[in-house]
Amino acid sequence: MIDLQDLTKVFPGTPAPAVDRLSLHIERGEIAVFVGPSGCGKTTTLKMINRLIEPTSGTVRVDGRSAESMPAHELRRGIGYVIQQIGLFPHRTIRQNIATVPGLLRWDKAQIAERVDELAELVALDPDMLDRYPAELSGGQRQRVGVARALAADPPVLLMDEPFGAVDPIVRAHLQDELLSLQQRLRKTIALVTHDIDEAIKLGDRVAILSEGGHLEQYGSPSDILRDPANAFVADFLGTDRGIKRLSLIPISALDLEAGPVVERSATHAEATAVALEYGTDWIALRDRSSVDGWIRIADVPSDGPASVNPEPFQTRLTRESTLKEALDAIVSSHTSVAAVFEGTELIGMITAEAVSREILR
Amino acid sequence: MQAAGGFFSWEWVVNHLDDIWDRTVQHLLLTAIAVGVGVVISLALSIIALRFRWTYAPITWFTGILYTIPSLALFAFLVPVTGLSVLTAEIGLVSYTLLILIRNMVAGIDGVPPATVESARGMGYTGRGLFFAVELPLALPVIIAGVRIASVTTIGLVTITALIGQGGLGFFILRGLNLFYSPIGTTQIIVGTVVSVALAVAVDLALVGVERLATPWSTRRAAA
Repeated sequence: MIDLQDLTKVFPGTPAPAVDRLSLHIERGEIAVFVGPSGCGKTTTLKMINRLIEPTSGTVRVDGRSAESMPAHELRRGIGYVIQQIGLFPHRTIRQNIATVPGLLRWDKAQIAERVDELAELVALDPDMLDRYPAELSGGQRQRVGVARALAADPPVLLMDEPFGAVDPIVRAHLQDELLSLQQRLRKTIALVTHDIDEAIKLGDRVAILSEGGHLEQYGSPSDILRDPANAFVADFLGTDRGIKRLSLIPISALDLEAGPVVERSATHAEATAVALEYGTDWIALRDRSSVDGWIRIADVPSDGPASVNPEPFQTRLTRESTLKEALDAIVSSHTSVAAVFEGTELIGMITAEAVSREILR
Repeated sequence: MQAAGGFFSWEWVVNHLDDIWDRTVQHLLLTAIAVGVGVVISLALSIIALRFRWTYAPITWFTGILYTIPSLALFAFLVPVTGLSVLTAEIGLVSYTLLILIRNMVAGIDGVPPATVESARGMGYTGRGLFFAVELPLALPVIIAGVRIASVTTIGLVTITALIGQGGLGFFILRGLNLFYSPIGTTQIIVGTVVSVALAVAVDLALVGVERLATPWSTRRAAA
């Protein structure tokens, strides 16, 4: 959908190129994240796609058409654009801001009004906000307006330059989730720039890691890059915790669950001890007919068996869709040293630290 | 007609209300023409200065020179060419508005946040559309601040044009000076001055109102 070929930018008066013969392809419907340290040319690359910066050499093709085959302003009206400070027009109401590109494309008024309402709903913006000015909104609300405005004329391509840079971490995480769920429905082709590797891993279908001077060091899916960094620069940029980062990309369903030290209520003390020994735990989970009630230390099991005890509930309840990172968190923060996985209220198995570690090393 | 020993004659004021009204209207008209023409010329010169940055220095240099010429001298130079006319008065008055107006226009446009300009361009605004739809409206508070200063300054300067047969309320001040040491003279000086000052204050307040109406977005802020 977006095709960059030998894209190079040398700014006048600078000896080294800001972007150096960059070639990559962004598939239709994917989010490609450009990430790297400052000075790596990621923003320059993004701005060459909508020609806010003209390349020194190389080509940009959007949907098969060369970006230079049309006037820059026409190209831009067909590409959604969101920047860090959002760049909302302070002198226009939210409604007028969202209507910017349809207005430039001369849609008729009724059509624009309908589209604005539709977009407000899409990005979960309170309709009461529409007649306010940007200064009257919170950072998170402004960011939603920025996205709505970029989507207004329904462009197939969105460019986002540090879109969540200006909001606090809690709001940022929330907006990232919103973008992902929006993307589930809309399937736009998105090029997004960030300096935050965690954001890149969370949002990107593919991640392009750039180094200073606009060299593409690696381009691939987050889990491929985390498992197999192309070189020392990438490994260093990913950080020493890249194993843990990769865990956030793997769902629990990728693992075979272990049954865990589950013991029937009717078991004897000797049977319960044997199960704990088998799993190497100092505790057992208790099952009453089909449901597992909780856990108890083996030392607390009465000599006549666990039939009468009142077990501790499991602290964290994970599902198959939870990530291994969440599982690891449950493991290290629970007394039992395992994460219990549920389907509804049913315990379907357990994950141990060893199983997580095996998956990282795989 | 005049009270002995007094220096202010209410009787003169009451007898000349029509006259005062006419001169006030003339004063306002001279001001409005000067500021109006000044805004148009300044806008054109500002656009040139913004488009071709190197012209900004010579433009401010030239309008700065105009600004420093003593008004009396300027009128003395112009009278042989354009006579004792409204044109002569306006050439002078307009000249004095340019520096203030151009400086505020250019500063106003320069003060538009770069992120706003960039996102406007990124959405497909081109030069002229960008200027009139985004940059100019956002520069309006600073531009109107310039218009306020220019208007108040011009209202004061209009009185000087009495010397070339115009002058609005300045007419009373000039005639009052010629009749000095008489209550009729001082009365006219006081009337001319007080009404002129009142006019300046009223026009300034009116322009504050215009700014509020034209830029509702700049006064409304988040409660949070």
